[in-house]
Amino acid sequence: MEFLSYLSPMFFVLIVAGALVGVIFGAIPGMTATMAVAVCLPLTYALDLTNGLALLLGLYVGGISGGMVPAVLLNIPGTPSSITTTFDGYPMAKKGEGERALKISIVASLFGGLFSAGVLFYFAPLLADFAIKFSYVEKFLIIFLALTVIASLTKNMLMGIFSGVLGVWLSLIGTYEITDGGNGETRLMFDFMEYYLVSGFSLLPVLIGIFGITTILQDAEKGFKGDAASPTIKLTTGSRFSFNVFKGQLTNLVRSSSIGTFVGMLPGVGGSAASVLAYTQEKNFSRDSSQMGNGAPQGLVASESSNNALTGGALVPLLSLGIPGDSTTAILIGAFTLQGIQVGPLFIGDNLDTWYIMIAALVLANLVMFGIMFFAIRYIAKVIEVPKHILYPIIVMMCVVGAYAINYGIMFDVWTLLIFGVFGYIATKVGIELVPLIIGFILGGSAEVYFVKSLESYGTLTVFFTKSPIAVFLWALIVLSLAFSIYIRLRARKKESLASYS
Amino acid sequence: MESQFLSLFEVSIAFEESHLFFPRIVTWVLLGLFALIVLIKAKKVTPALRRAGQAVMHGNEGFDRKRFFGTIFLIVIYFYLMAVVGNVFPNTGYGFLFVSIPFIFVLSVLYVEEKTKKNLLVIAINAVVAPVLAWYVLSQLFRITLP
Repeated sequence: MEFLSYLSPMFFVLIVAGALVGVIFGAIPGMTATMAVAVCLPLTYALDLTNGLALLLGLYVGGISGGMVPAVLLNIPGTPSSITTTFDGYPMAKKGEGERALKISIVASLFGGLFSAGVLFYFAPLLADFAIKFSYVEKFLIIFLALTVIASLTKNMLMGIFSGVLGVWLSLIGTYEITDGGNGETRLMFDFMEYYLVSGFSLLPVLIGIFGITTILQDAEKGFKGDAASPTIKLTTGSRFSFNVFKGQLTNLVRSSSIGTFVGMLPGVGGSAASVLAYTQEKNFSRDSSQMGNGAPQGLVASESSNNALTGGALVPLLSLGIPGDSTTAILIGAFTLQGIQVGPLFIGDNLDTWYIMIAALVLANLVMFGIMFFAIRYIAKVIEVPKHILYPIIVMMCVVGAYAINYGIMFDVWTLLIFGVFGYIATKVGIELVPLIIGFILGGSAEVYFVKSLESYGTLTVFFTKSPIAVFLWALIVLSLAFSIYIRLRARKKESLASYS
Repeated sequence: MESQFLSLFEVSIAFEESHLFFPRIVTWVLLGLFALIVLIKAKKVTPALRRAGQAVMHGNEGFDRKRFFGTIFLIVIYFYLMAVVGNVFPNTGYGFLFVSIPFIFVLSVLYVEEKTKKNLLVIAINAVVAPVLAWYVLSQLFRITLP
């Protein structure tokens, strides 16, 4: 319990502030938890580790939860993971039960968040203990597995793989660092670029550019027509919220939260996959699913408990293996590095206090999110009316601060924002998937070190297959994930062709 | 026989060249995948390029040229001037402060749908308050480096 001495009033203030700002970001359509973390990042530069964690985790949980507001009131998912919330939330809102729908979602979110925090607490140390025994060979295979899983779950597998490899390629630009056992030479650039790119592109400006500037360019292209949609529905003319709704929903809550947590653990799989999976499972397994899609509380429960369960799930691979579970945790990895934390198998054992603080912050952030949203939902619902012409310029400004301050004042990092903002915009146009790209970018550097070191010490490629039973097991998982994805695709194609015949 | 087969997999990496070993593999994989994608989607590539070219050159329903290119143009000017002004007043964050105010104002005006008096007033107030607040909190209270 020694870690409790680290918690100060500031810690609580920052969790509340983080959750509040996160909820607001999540509630504005088009803005995500990832963006909330990216934009508020500069604030953490000045905070110490404990307080920085409080702010970041508050933002993360708040951002994921806030997405339910426009999903219910406008039929627009505020974050991709609240897509299934629209299926039942919006019909309820049309009946005048907006507040009831939101409160059901809030309670479900709390359950999902706490459930996944519990899983994180018990599971991450186990996984880390296991991963400590990994040598370079297994570490390389873990990264390879992560990239395979991401690629195989994207819409178009070939494009997914291409995006991941492109991310790895981008991460290799710069010096092969002597500190990593390299020879200190630069590569993948022309001589005149050496001045700027000697240490490659910095992670955070790249992420902030891709998630902040790209979003703004995408919206600018659409021209802001019908900016600041105002809800035409009344919050509370229909039936009111009561906790009785949750009678008989325990199975649904636990199942959906488990799905959310598990999907969260898979690297690079977006939140929408979790909520869609939980929603369809509820539809398949519940005794009465006839009302789902027309305003059934059980649909909201499935959707919201699963998408909040992502938070804890996504932190499992981040903290135990150093592999981010989604785009928001990808930014968190950068923020942690700034605070001097190296996430990976050794993290939990070496930083027990930080680990407990993190869990405490995550649990508290969920409770605070619940408190804020449950009692102030009417006021939060107003946020969706804030016009984007006010918001977006402020976001560009905050992105600049985040990028500039990261290496204590390098203007090239600011230009990186624009380079990757425009790059992200073009990339999505041609079908490149940004999440595999980002994960590839984050893991590329380590992949190189592990790969080259393995070959330098063993001198043969066969070591990747024969090093240990774990290596064989990881190969089995890689093959399995590829086979699974091919199977899913074939089945979908079969269904399509059947549908076109009938 | 077996040892001959296994020797196919043997690799030795010269230290002076080790910085190129992995990038070379990745570059080849990337090019291979690119070729494969182009081959599979060859039919779709040309029309898609033509459509994109048309949208960029002439604009169409779904592509707001003024706001899109305006955003990029303003951001370039913003970044450039920030560094210039920042060099005049080093270590004060004034470059950020003085350039952010007009940038936010102009970008908001570019984005706003109806240029009513009330909207413009809100934009003007926001353009002054937001950068001043950000500058004060970050640079003065938190001592964060700003341009």
